[in-house]
Amino acid sequence: MATGRAFERIGTLEGKPLENVTKTIMKKIGNRILVKTLWQILVILAIGAGLGLISNALRPDSLQLIGDWSAESRITTATGEHLIISLSEAEKLFTEDAAIFIDARSNEDFKNGHIAGAKSLPWQDVDRLFMKVTEDISSDMTIITYCDGKTCKLSHDLALFLLDIGFKHVRVLVNGWTVWQESGLPVEGR
Amino acid sequence: MSWNCHRILFLFSRLILGCVFIYACFDKILHPAEFSKAVYNYQILPDVLINLTAIVLPWLELVLGVVFIIGIWMPGAVVMSTLLLTMFTGVLLFNLARGLDISCGCFSTSALESSTNIWTVLQHGSFWALAVYLLYIIYFSRNCDALRPKT
Repeated sequence: MATGRAFERIGTLEGKPLENVTKTIMKKIGNRILVKTLWQILVILAIGAGLGLISNALRPDSLQLIGDWSAESRITTATGEHLIISLSEAEKLFTEDAAIFIDARSNEDFKNGHIAGAKSLPWQDVDRLFMKVTEDISSDMTIITYCDGKTCKLSHDLALFLLDIGFKHVRVLVNGWTVWQESGLPVEGR
Repeated sequence: MSWNCHRILFLFSRLILGCVFIYACFDKILHPAEFSKAVYNYQILPDVLINLTAIVLPWLELVLGVVFIIGIWMPGAVVMSTLLLTMFTGVLLFNLARGLDISCGCFSTSALESSTNIWTVLQHGSFWALAVYLLYIIYFSRNCDALRPKT
């Protein structure tokens, strides 16, 4: 009670109503918690970032801080050989009938539309279907795998698999289904 | 809920989140290259931020886990973890909605980890709920002053 009265007197003495004084005190406490929270966040961030950067610098297999995530650098063999084929090269091989196109997307996507003459080998069913799909393809034949989307991994995974089982000339047409359609090249399906 | 219940719940929430963050960071710290691929697969960050995220995020999780278990810097840790878990849950939901079939990369960098599904989202949602509970106790509960950490 005594504290309350003193408090009230201070409020009155300063010519401010009690409500305003309480609000000011609450605001100061709020600001203090906010400041404390902010510096704690900064300290946690600094320790985390510091440990991450130092450990990365010290490890033998350190990552580059800014990596190259372009399709050219991602789509390679284990030895670093590039697998990408350009649309113009793929079109030339298609026209000359010198390459087999293999669609790595799902069977449903394949049925909805695919590059004319392409075979379907969905990556998720590759173990079950690859014998049947590749039985009439010579190991010297050029194979072009494709899927859809710039970041689609299916065609890359399929290309590595085909190289692994003995096909010598396997290439990847990045974002194949989209770029093929956009160029008005022959397609089949619904 | 009684003060004692809040005290026990607060302690459990803090320890559970601490253990979750520490468990989540180990594989990512050991295999940063694999984790960077998992980050890339989400197709959300610009290329320049992918490696930096893969390098810093696991250590940030480790620091948060340790802070939760020790019980220091709670206001900052709770705000950070709430923001992180909101972001993680949001990203999982976003990818689920757009039908992206990728492994979560949440607790393991292995490509064999199961794909993101509704259970992954619910799991993260429950961690998020714990973080929000801690946030409520620390910032908004006037009846649980004694639970508020001194730091």
